[in-house]
Amino acid sequence: MAVGAPAARLEGAEKVSGRARYTEDLRLPGMLHARLVLSPHPRARIARIPKEAALEVPGIVAVYTGADLPIGTAARRALAKEEVRYTGEPVAAVLAESEAAAADAVERLASVVEYEVMTPILDPMDAMRPDAPAVTAVILADAEAAAHAAASAGAEDQEKRPSNITNHVTYKRGDVEAGLREADLVIERTYTTPRVHQLYIEPQCAVATTDPASGHVTIYTATQGQFFVREQVAKALDLPLQSVRVVPLTIGGGFGGKIQLIQPMAAALALASNRPVRLILTRSEDLLLSTPAPECVMTLKTGVKKDGTLTAIEGKLIFDSGSAPAAPTGIGALLMGGYYRVPHFHVEAFEVLTNKPAVGAYRAPGATQANFAMESQMDIMGRALGLDPVAFRLHNAAAEGDPMPDGKPWNRIGLREVLERLQRHPAWTGRETGDGVGYGIAVGGWPGGVESASACMRANTDGTFQVVTGAIDVTGTSTTFAQIAADVLGLPVDKIQVITSDTDTAPYAGMSAGSKTLYTVGAALQIAAEDARRQILEIAAKEMEAHVDDLEIANGQVRVKGAPGRSLAVAEVAARSMRFGAKHPPIFGAGSVPSPKTSPGFAAHLVKARVDRETGAVKILGHVVFQDVGFAVNPAAVDGQIRGGAVQAIGWGLIEAMRYDESGTLLTSTLSDYPLPRASDVPPMDVEFIEVRSQYGPYGAKGVGEPPIISGGPAIANAVADACGVREVSLPITAERLLAALEGGRPRA
Amino acid sequence: MTVNGRSVSAEVETRFLLVDFLRHRLRLTGTHVGCAHGACGACTILLDDRPARSCLVFAVQADGATIRTIESLAQDDRLSPLQEEFRNHHALQCGYCTPGMLMAATALLAETPDPTETQIKEYMAGNLCRCTGYQPIVRAVKATAARRPK
Ligand code: FES
Ligand code: FES
Repeated sequence: MAVGAPAARLEGAEKVSGRARYTEDLRLPGMLHARLVLSPHPRARIARIPKEAALEVPGIVAVYTGADLPIGTAARRALAKEEVRYTGEPVAAVLAESEAAAADAVERLASVVEYEVMTPILDPMDAMRPDAPAVTAVILADAEAAAHAAASAGAEDQEKRPSNITNHVTYKRGDVEAGLREADLVIERTYTTPRVHQLYIEPQCAVATTDPASGHVTIYTATQGQFFVREQVAKALDLPLQSVRVVPLTIGGGFGGKIQLIQPMAAALALASNRPVRLILTRSEDLLLSTPAPECVMTLKTGVKKDGTLTAIEGKLIFDSGSAPAAPTGIGALLMGGYYRVPHFHVEAFEVLTNKPAVGAYRAPGATQANFAMESQMDIMGRALGLDPVAFRLHNAAAEGDPMPDGKPWNRIGLREVLERLQRHPAWTGRETGDGVGYGIAVGGWPGGVESASACMRANTDGTFQVVTGAIDVTGTSTTFAQIAADVLGLPVDKIQVITSDTDTAPYAGMSAGSKTLYTVGAALQIAAEDARRQILEIAAKEMEAHVDDLEIANGQVRVKGAPGRSLAVAEVAARSMRFGAKHPPIFGAGSVPSPKTSPGFAAHLVKARVDRETGAVKILGHVVFQDVGFAVNPAAVDGQIRGGAVQAIGWGLIEAMRYDESGTLLTSTLSDYPLPRASDVPPMDVEFIEVRSQYGPYGAKGVGEPPIISGGPAIANAVADACGVREVSLPITAERLLAALEGGRPRA
Repeated sequence: MTVNGRSVSAEVETRFLLVDFLRHRLRLTGTHVGCAHGACGACTILLDDRPARSCLVFAVQADGATIRTIESLAQDDRLSPLQEEFRNHHALQCGYCTPGMLMAATALLAETPDPTETQIKEYMAGNLCRCTGYQPIVRAVKATAARRPK
């Protein structure tokens, strides 16, 4: 059976042969090359942009400033106007006949733009002060942030303030003061996580072209959400949706960071010049102006009884959102311990603007940060009371029906099950103590994004079928869709072609983000396939003079159950429904679903690490991820998601951070400076699936993309504390940082 | 120069990069650009049988050289064993790093037909992948080595 068995990726052959088409491969006749002039200052008034400097360069076609192309929203302009809000903000765009000419023009112009430099606000703590100057005068609920609040965290108390604090979310139950009084032990700590970049290997890219007849604009791009891009471009350029067509090409990684960024600019430049325009960021430009995960400062004060019962959680998260509101405030507040059963709870989260690039979503936004604080805190409490870390967590774990911080009940979750599996795993039961070796565990989950979705299923007269959706395949979902369609129709997988069509023709699907593509689009597709199957059987019943209920489909044949001799090929059924004078309507399956209820996905990490006391280097010796996947429709793809996510978690834990100097200049603006995990950094890793079936997802599947990254960081920090006694409250735990702590005799864990 | 077995001659500006020459002049777009400053390995090709970052080489420097790109691995549309194993082991997700990975792995297997896991990880450490967590890539290389007649 196709479903539940590992399947090779459908698009694998084109990707291994170099034939897959990415946006950067596109060359349109008459195409111009766009490049951007970026601000070298985090906060300044633009005094003068002497465009002539660029226009003198041979091959240059046009230069535009924010005054020429006033596009975007007030909070998020495509080109800065009057003032710049972060280093790297585009202040002008040049169009040239070649990439080289465009680069020359940018270099010339960048050196002569005049600024009146102002003192930047770089620290969110400074920015929060009532007397702090405003990073932007315009406070707008940011559409992008709202759209990516994939966990649909409904906050009970949201307010907008006329300051750099652009969002404030509070979740409260019980009386934390009373809870803290009941506790035998109260622990208070402050934690920090850095700005981390999604670092997809393909930089941001878009090619836009206009149709002179209709005035429509088409954008070829790499995006996780084509309908969202269409909406944002239409809004930015004040065009009707029908005038904007987005064609998604193969995407070279996203992780939340490739949703919408430069597409409105590319479209505006194509419309302004009436020529096709290619806008591809260099890696440095990408690091300077795209939307990474926010820095976060978190404080936690928790109370616990001697027997390990949590009595109170009081927490605060401050997200540095950069120059526009986009921080995962609601999710962060929801997940700072919200998965433990605790009577008294009060967590608030703030989104604060500073003079840095606006942030965005990076795999499990808000969860990675909040979970680092909470799971470190659990370790500190557990150690202080001498509790077994797994038993301590199990003792407090929430279960189906327990309230979430927003008051809604948790749906069915596998929190307990992943911990129980960890508890029995030989890597845990067989722990060995040795010189500088330690173990750490942590657990966390993702509420699961939901959105309505649709899909359709077309038949061809040769017995093949096409699944058509608007979902972007970032992680292998097309293959999983094919497995589902093949399973429902009783056909081999190779009879199914999966197509992501563009915004002019695709049935609606939300962005591939929030761990919801299979969960929602897959569910719609399953209905579409069932619809097509019913039509096939109805036609076959008439043609074969049999009763529908007596028919089945197997190996591409419609057969009468129990009478193997009587059969009709599915291809023949399809052919008889699509031809001149056909007696039957064409087979065409359609499926759509409203937003389903959520099926939160939990994962536990077990890390074995050694700390080198001489150098401070942490070596991970073993790593096991236990994840509740609901049901693995394509176990090979699920396994790949978990390993990829877990290695990103190692990046969070040990090496990754975007660093700025005091003047707001990014120090990690190349891939040589920004450290990514390499093949040689990857420890022996095991992945264990736990399958607590979802009542809503197709075949019981849950979203699997987000959960594996969440708890890797705190599991590493906890292993470090176990190995050397040093409690690191800030990520990443670089060798330098740990060595300083080891030498400085930082208070013990 | 010779590219994928075919001899090519062209006039180019001195600052034209080899990767741009391959991608834009010869339309061999399988070689990707992830950084253009030598840090990611997405542009890895074989230059006289040695792995090289085509974003760090000017096209004129490759005058007379023998170059192999990802497009040369499959013979008559039949995937090579390494390509097949990458596909079978889900050694790719977005596929952007994949051509560079495959060229680096081709060079590794030519030098060391039966590499250990550590040798693979170290040899491939210059090729960044953000999607897979590398383990499926290591497995695919091992599986390819295991397929060679001993
Ligand atoms: S593109 Fe050449 S190393 Fe990154
Ligand atoms: S498969 Fe996406 S970067 Fe390697």
